[in-house]
Amino acid sequence: MKPSSRAKERIFALALIAPCFLFVVTFAFYPIIYSFYLSLHRIILGIPSLGQPFTGLENYRALLHDRIALHSLINTLMFVFISTFLEILFGLVIALVINRHFRGRGMVRAAILVPWAIPTVVSSQMWRFIFNDQYGLLNYILYGSDTSSYNAWLADPVYAFSAIVAADVWKTSSFAALLILAGLQVIPDELYEAAEIDGAGAWQRFRRITLPLVKPAILIALLFRTMDAFRVFDLVFVMTQGGPADSTNVLQFYGYKKMFTEGLMGYGSTISVVVFLMALIISVIYIRVMGKGMLKAKNA
Amino acid sequence: MNNLLRSVGGYLMNRQAVRHRVIQGIFMGIFVLLLLVPAGCTKKAEEGKTTLHFVTWKPNIPEAWEEIYSIFRAEHPDIELVRETGPHSSTAFHDLLTQKLKNRSEDVDVFLMDVIWPPEFAAAGWAAPLDEMFAPSERKEFLEGAILANSYNGKIYGVPLFIDSGILYYRRDLLEKYGFKPPRTWQEMVEQAEKITAGEAGKGVEIYGFSGQFKQYEGLVCDMMEYILSNGGNIINPKTGKSGIAEKPAVEAVRFVRDNIIGKIAPAGVLTYQEPESLDLFIQGKAVFHRNWPYAWEVSNNPKRSTIAGKVGIARLPHFPGGRSYSTLGGWQAGISSYSKNKEAAWTFVKFLTSERIQKLLALKAGRAPTRKKLYGDAEILKAYPHFSGMKDVFLTAYPRPRTPLYPAVSNVLQRYFSKAISDPSSDIEKEALSASQEIDRLLSLAK
Amino acid sequence: MNRFLFYATTFVVVFMSLLPFAWFLNTSLKTPIEVTAIPPVLLPSGTLHSYRSAITEYNLLHFVRNSVIVAGLTTFFTILISVFAGYALARLRLRYKGLIMGSLLLVSMFPQISIAGPVWRILHALGWLNTYQGLVLPYVTLTLPLGVWILAVFFTELPDELEDAARIDGCSHVQTLFRIMIPLAAPGVFTAAILVFIYAWNEFFFALLIMTQQKFQTLPVGIALFQGQYTLPWGEIAAASTVATVPLVLLVFLFQKRIVRGLSAGAVK
Repeated sequence: MKPSSRAKERIFALALIAPCFLFVVTFAFYPIIYSFYLSLHRIILGIPSLGQPFTGLENYRALLHDRIALHSLINTLMFVFISTFLEILFGLVIALVINRHFRGRGMVRAAILVPWAIPTVVSSQMWRFIFNDQYGLLNYILYGSDTSSYNAWLADPVYAFSAIVAADVWKTSSFAALLILAGLQVIPDELYEAAEIDGAGAWQRFRRITLPLVKPAILIALLFRTMDAFRVFDLVFVMTQGGPADSTNVLQFYGYKKMFTEGLMGYGSTISVVVFLMALIISVIYIRVMGKGMLKAKNA
Repeated sequence: MNNLLRSVGGYLMNRQAVRHRVIQGIFMGIFVLLLLVPAGCTKKAEEGKTTLHFVTWKPNIPEAWEEIYSIFRAEHPDIELVRETGPHSSTAFHDLLTQKLKNRSEDVDVFLMDVIWPPEFAAAGWAAPLDEMFAPSERKEFLEGAILANSYNGKIYGVPLFIDSGILYYRRDLLEKYGFKPPRTWQEMVEQAEKITAGEAGKGVEIYGFSGQFKQYEGLVCDMMEYILSNGGNIINPKTGKSGIAEKPAVEAVRFVRDNIIGKIAPAGVLTYQEPESLDLFIQGKAVFHRNWPYAWEVSNNPKRSTIAGKVGIARLPHFPGGRSYSTLGGWQAGISSYSKNKEAAWTFVKFLTSERIQKLLALKAGRAPTRKKLYGDAEILKAYPHFSGMKDVFLTAYPRPRTPLYPAVSNVLQRYFSKAISDPSSDIEKEALSASQEIDRLLSLAK
Repeated sequence: MNRFLFYATTFVVVFMSLLPFAWFLNTSLKTPIEVTAIPPVLLPSGTLHSYRSAITEYNLLHFVRNSVIVAGLTTFFTILISVFAGYALARLRLRYKGLIMGSLLLVSMFPQISIAGPVWRILHALGWLNTYQGLVLPYVTLTLPLGVWILAVFFTELPDELEDAARIDGCSHVQTLFRIMIPLAAPGVFTAAILVFIYAWNEFFFALLIMTQQKFQTLPVGIALFQGQYTLPWGEIAAASTVATVPLVLLVFLFQKRIVRGLSAGAVK
């Protein structure tokens, strides 16, 4: 191709991605920088007479000593670990089960996609109703009409936290399953047949063939589930409002409260920046690991 | 990274013949049609009329409010009243209204304010001062506590519409059956509750001793404040102007709630209850005692909703030995937005809404406790709601929550502390109280 | 034995996936007294009371209309922009492709709170809080990574020969794109559209921040705020939830294959 035509192609390509670029810069990257700017100021929406004084890193210093922020960080990380782990585990099991040809497979796949498609607000209300201490389905299933044994699930810090994890696992295991399933489906049947001829058992086939080959898909599922669990908000907002005793308070909910309910724009922005940096670090680590994993899979 | 995902994607997205052409066509067609849906059909105001936007919540007795609006429309044909209805949860309504006001939205002229908001709205410049229109002589007609709640830095920002205060509801039939009088101290209440639940055990409906509001939300502050005050403590110590929750009476009161109420006479589920859930338990005949606002009287005596209609008694809240009974002041005010362009019409509406006859109508038809002192002697109201007379001093002396423009932040600290202290049986209340106390003092110093 | 295990697991998985929502659907058909009965009533009377009440008392149709408008507009604009960007990234010479794709991926992983304050301030300054465009703009931004990824993958998969042939016939870049490539990419466009639509239909955080007037609120916000200080209308919440979910369930059953393929390519929520 002639250089001039090459230049033309570049210009055309730039023109095509310009709108996308514009959106992402205005509503994603610029806000990040703006958040950082706000985090260096004291801005209290309720007291405009204070103005917007520059306070340097004072907000960050305050955040270091904020016990509740630390508490919600721990809650968030626990939520991420437990829910992601369970989701990948269930996802793997579901994927292995439905990775066969059978009549009605499409229907089964659609059915397990239903939890994923339901709006989170709806599933949160639904689980809140199921966990209700007086007329909830869970108590009824466990204890029948013996109302005196009914448990107040959302009143107990440990149960309430578990309830949120359960609602999340229910909603997104199918997502993990589908990603893993997509990975399973590209493994050629011949590999298994050959292994079987060599006398490898079911477990060995799983360990030696399935797991390594499906690893990239698992890692992708892990990445997306981690990042998604990290920003959990709807479940907490609807089911518990962070209670009881802050046992379900998570970073995104805490930041929302600070910024929009209490009107502490500056301090809230500090939380935003820290949350962003943490998300950035986690995703960079994942992408690194995934890159390596992919390389190994290629060499094998 | 790019290559990696692309190769994965490549496996998954194998080329496939276009099979769903028709369905696609239909679907894209739907999207195009959606774009043609008119984006909001707002009614144009009629010529010569002033349009007045009133932001209110969804009432639980809509008929009463409809009647009020139609009276206003008939009397003021020159004002076109447009209502915007928000959620009735105080926190959600607060978020919605303050978003609008931060936005300097012109579609807010008159709004309802919860009793804890005037300082915040005043400091933020959202609520217009009403001193020129709301004369001091006129203010004397209202309950002092309610007027105080609407004042900030020597100016007044709202007109009280109705007030709320905590009341103890009880099962008259059960107390009579066991020969009890309404309890005067919390300890008495616990004893009575224990005896009644023990006596009623195994007789069909399982019954708890008490239900109230203990979820981590604003209502928790209201409930807990009543225990603390009635033990001689306070949220903000009036002498020092600093947090009083780490002082001994306050800590003792919280400890009492944790050790004797939650999971004891009240089911552990109260830790998830706001007003509706706690009232549900009571009107289904599953609680002996119940703490709620005045509206619960109407509901619990309504045979369509309640299984205990006619069996309900009310009393002032109990107190600790040596203390006296306190009720948290609640209630709603009418305020005018600083950004309103129709302040005159807005005041006409506020004056109308808080007038004697409309308050009387709200009392009679919606069970709302009036803010005008005179109405507590009104024969018609007392006939329909005999408890208003016996409870008059409860309303007169209802105690306000801390008045600071940073109230939402202070309240979040309190909610957190109370929830933690009462939901964990092994919590170190002193330590928690101390750290919450420091946090509150820090917030209070910010607002100075 | 193996066969039994397979069917049993499949049954359990399907049952667990559908049970909770089925219970909510069941609740929406109960009378107010049945809804909060202790212990729960298994069979509803089949009344439509909750639906009627959700429509007349809680403006359900209003929320539906707003959701349709917002999700529709978002889908339209995201797909429009993604087709261009996806094509450029997949088939044209362009520097820093990896960087662009990487940063798009990053955007899809932002915790919403990290941009919420500034986005709110920008929209505030523009006077676009409580407008459809005010919500559609952030939605388009947040769904672009998804759209661009899916379409880029899709365009990459198309054979080079077609494009080469078009070039030889003397088509310009613009003509090649519009005459050859976009029609061929229709299935990819459709897949991306479904996923973007579902995202926009379900999103809650920004809708809660930006739409404070009931007139503009979408279904998720409506459902989350149905509860009042003095009322907890479970029947109406269940009814509105059903209305919000049924279109999505239909989409899933009609297009599950496409959705799965799109998810694996763009991997969203």
